[in-house]
Amino acid sequence: MTKKSMNISIAIITMILGVMLAIQFRTNRYLEQGVTADRAQEMVAELSRLESDNRKFDKEIDDLTYKLEQARKGQTQARDAILDELKKAKMSAGLTSVTGPGIEVVLDNPDSSPGIFIRDEYLLKIANELKGAGAEAISVNGQRLIATSEIRLAGSFININLDRTEPPFQILAIGNPEKLKSSLEISGGLVDYFKELGIAVKTQTHSSITIPGYNKDLRYDYAKAVKG
Amino acid sequence: MWIGVWLAALGLALGIALGLNLPFTVPQAYAKYMSVAVLAAMDSVFGGIRAAMEEHYDNRIFITGFFSNALLAAGLAFIGERLGIDLYLAAVVAFGVRLFQNLAIIRRHLLKK
Repeated sequence: MTKKSMNISIAIITMILGVMLAIQFRTNRYLEQGVTADRAQEMVAELSRLESDNRKFDKEIDDLTYKLEQARKGQTQARDAILDELKKAKMSAGLTSVTGPGIEVVLDNPDSSPGIFIRDEYLLKIANELKGAGAEAISVNGQRLIATSEIRLAGSFININLDRTEPPFQILAIGNPEKLKSSLEISGGLVDYFKELGIAVKTQTHSSITIPGYNKDLRYDYAKAVKG
Repeated sequence: MWIGVWLAALGLALGIALGLNLPFTVPQAYAKYMSVAVLAAMDSVFGGIRAAMEEHYDNRIFITGFFSNALLAAGLAFIGERLGIDLYLAAVVAFGVRLFQNLAIIRRHLLKK
């Protein structure tokens, strides 16, 4: 009886031991494959640290993006201002086409008397008179008059901006049309003078004329800007 | 006597087969306690075999010894962990020494026969 119960209990107990051994064996093998608890904890700590770092950097990115945006905005404004300034400067220099109300003056050589022809001084006088009357832009036969423009006789042609032009001369000026017209047609003025000479003069006001910009390069071989 | 040994071997093989096929492992955090418990259980089994050979086997002592040793070893390891003392080492040493002693005595009994 005791022998039998001993055998049975030893068998049961060894079976339990076997189960425990096997489970422990499998657990250990699983542990070797996987990560230990310490390592896992370490990695969790690392992860949370990296996550907080990540959040911090995200915030930094936002901040820097905001700053960059501001800087860009400032830059855009500055660029716009500079471009605006450039546009104004180009307009002042006569490099851009302009449009507006103005006057058209056409001078032509008289057909009847071949001895009389239009001299460069006439054109200069007209230009001068128009400038005096507040013309903001003047062109002669499509050549814009700018600071360096010349109007001079060269053989049988008149050179304007180093370009040969021939009669008839079409002079366009933007400004107050009435003022420009009256400055030329004032009694004893240029129109009267030209008519006396026998030159055909026609003046006409327009509500809108377009004067082309100076289309050649502005060269400064000798002049240099003075600083300050 | 030999029937007992065969029964023990059979039980062990059955238990190992069962354990290998159970869909369950001890969580990592408790693997250490489980190992100490296994050691204690092994000690108890060898102690039981030794007692059987010395003819003073007591069923109650064997069964209670098996469970109480295993639970005590695991509990000691657990408490040691909480206290910051590696008490499971003490269990490993104590049960290890006893295990070898039991094995030596069993060997001697087997050789004497």
